[in-house]
Amino acid sequence: MKDSMRKAYLASVTDRFVKGQMDRRSFLRAAGKLGLGAGALGMGLGARPFWTMSQAQAQDQELKPNADVMKWLADVGKPFAGTTLKLATESTPPSNAIATQLKQYFEEASGIKIEIEVLPLEQVLQKLTLDVASSLGTYDLYYIDQSWAANFSQDVFDPREQLKNADLAMPNYNIDDFLKPLVDGIAMYKDTMVGVPYDIPIFIMQYRKDIWDELKLPAPTTMEDLLNASKAITDAKGPNVYGTSGQMKSGHYSLECDWTAWLWGHGGSIFDKDGKFCGNDERGLEAMAYWDKLKATMPPGVNGWTWDGEGQSVAQGVAASMLSWGEFFPFFDDPKASKVSGLMEAIVPPKPTTTLRTVQETAFGEIPGVGHQGGSSLAVSKYSKAPDAAWIFMQWATSADTQALITVLGGGTGPTRKSVYDDPRVKANARVGAGTTRHLPVVRETIANYMGSEPDLPAWAEISSDTIPVALGKYFAGQLGSAKETMDALKSQVDEIVAKG
Amino acid sequence: MNASVASRTLRTLAAWVVVGLFFFPIYYWTSVAFKYGNDIFSRPPNLFHFTPTFDNFQKVFGISLGSGGVTVTPGGGNFFMAPRLWDSIVVATLSTLVAIVIATLAAYALSRMNFRGRHQFVNWVLSTRMMPPVAVAVPMFFIYKGFGLLDTFTGMVLIHALMNLPLAVLLMKSFFDDIPAEIDESAIVDGASRFTIFRRIVLPMAKGGIAATAVLCFIFSWTEFLFALTLTTTGLKTVPVVSSTFVTSIGTAWGNMAALGAASIIPAFIFILLVQKHLVRGLTMGSLKQ
Repeated sequence: MKDSMRKAYLASVTDRFVKGQMDRRSFLRAAGKLGLGAGALGMGLGARPFWTMSQAQAQDQELKPNADVMKWLADVGKPFAGTTLKLATESTPPSNAIATQLKQYFEEASGIKIEIEVLPLEQVLQKLTLDVASSLGTYDLYYIDQSWAANFSQDVFDPREQLKNADLAMPNYNIDDFLKPLVDGIAMYKDTMVGVPYDIPIFIMQYRKDIWDELKLPAPTTMEDLLNASKAITDAKGPNVYGTSGQMKSGHYSLECDWTAWLWGHGGSIFDKDGKFCGNDERGLEAMAYWDKLKATMPPGVNGWTWDGEGQSVAQGVAASMLSWGEFFPFFDDPKASKVSGLMEAIVPPKPTTTLRTVQETAFGEIPGVGHQGGSSLAVSKYSKAPDAAWIFMQWATSADTQALITVLGGGTGPTRKSVYDDPRVKANARVGAGTTRHLPVVRETIANYMGSEPDLPAWAEISSDTIPVALGKYFAGQLGSAKETMDALKSQVDEIVAKG
Repeated sequence: MNASVASRTLRTLAAWVVVGLFFFPIYYWTSVAFKYGNDIFSRPPNLFHFTPTFDNFQKVFGISLGSGGVTVTPGGGNFFMAPRLWDSIVVATLSTLVAIVIATLAAYALSRMNFRGRHQFVNWVLSTRMMPPVAVAVPMFFIYKGFGLLDTFTGMVLIHALMNLPLAVLLMKSFFDDIPAEIDESAIVDGASRFTIFRRIVLPMAKGGIAATAVLCFIFSWTEFLFALTLTTTGLKTVPVVSSTFVTSIGTAWGNMAALGAASIIPAFIFILLVQKHLVRGLTMGSLKQ
């Protein structure tokens, strides 16, 4: 039996066992056939996918908050007992893990109530913008996408300043434990720390190992390998299976995310050192030419997909690979939601075709790197009527212990702290199945060595979510002529927006 | 005879096709609520042969339906939507009630009483529907914040009632216009006051119209998104707003969204059943002029 088939079979057997559809004897027999014996039983019992577990069951597991952290919350929270905090956040694995599972521990220990409003990303921006514009303090904590850091930098407390208040500081909070590239790429705007890194979706290469093995293709470690393999798969298996996929919906932020990965991967950048748009230079046009060729190996509907459609195309076996958000990987391993459970492999993004531009060669803090990051930070609003209580919550929500719980309960999402990657609870989940953490070493390496970050400037939310994806969408719809004409037009638009400030 | 049978069969067939066209999206969406992720995205779409599951309902409503306890899905949006369904029922019912009470009185006055600027008044009422809600949403946010109405049932009921009033007034006016004014005049001759005529004579005759207007107001409130999003935070949320929370950073939880959607059809369906007796008459009122 092939390794991939063995993994898929094991995932299926384990899933049936934890759902009670298979008795222990049958499970052991099936596991025994795979040569796993008692080890498999342990996997089925101790590290099963969280979303097959009841809440009551979850509380009985070892996945409980650290007692010292709870004691600190009880002590520090006393003066604030009865306070209610509000947070508006995107529906991300960390936020959902806190909202549905973990906040009860915080509330019981501290006496502080936390209300979490979960919304799609663009609605979070609308809510926060209203709150800031009116200085109303409706929300005590802000969930800040990396592309909004500049916009909200004046409206939140710098956590380094908050940490100076020894009375409220969490013991061993260790702000230096946050991965430095994430602090620089997500949380820093000029000299201000706009909150602390809270979550980190990042582009990693995810591909169907079984198909690559079957066609004897080299792993997609370079841009050329990826293109060649995608062509070969599309030729051999299309139209049932295409080589790769994309998030290329016209006018949607996701299209801009894909563009930056190919742009940076060809040695280009969005801005030059003078702060002028340079996606229309030679490297930018090479990236567009490559993207055109790669698009020919993607499923026909890709023009209408955001990351949702892209992820589904891989999960349903329509596309054999994607350079995209690592948060999808645990979903691919879920046998109930995906047809490729156990068949996917995660590796770092393909190497760039040439040397990456340095930060000094770009502007506005842009960091070229194929591993496009879409992380967010969590910060206390300056308009909050209970900033101290909010700071206590923020420390707890971003502490190492809570992050470890989020990573396991939240379905394999990437932590933003170094220590959490080494946490035994996180490592124990590194097996095929829903909520796996087996891709996290790749996520960690990508953050350390291959991460790309968008620029930080107040106009960036408009440029990244509207100007660029609208122009690219028109290009792929054949409405803007050649790639050169499209990029030249885009340069005029972007430079004008930046000049306006 | 044969031509008549053929014609009737054709009509019946056409009617079933039309019914099928309207019913299919409801069937499809409801079936998604009972599917696992793999079945939702199967190619070609699997309309009938799939393994049904209550998982989506369990996740969305936090209840156990006998297939393995209460489950949760990381990244699958917000949970425990039952309170949100209740929020929607309260807001839609009360706002409909407020709109109908005010609209009935206003429409009767516009239909029966002569006062200066009556026709302009009708136009003015209609003009408030011409303004896009998004232009009003942000100013309303600040007004509501000032009056302490943000995130409250009172605030949501008021805004939905206000939103529905113009349409309700115009609809009710057309229904009252259909009731002959001679009936009012006869009652006046018999010594009835204006209010008595309204309450005892005209209102019972306009029951069908009131039912039709109430159904429209209820449905508009039930499906309204923008105000419900802007004017609430965590205190209450209506179904359309919480449905959007299933759009997550790792894709859309279609099964969960469909489960909430399928469940949310039921209250609206019950409301329509309750007023169904009067509805057909109401929908046909105003179609014939004297």
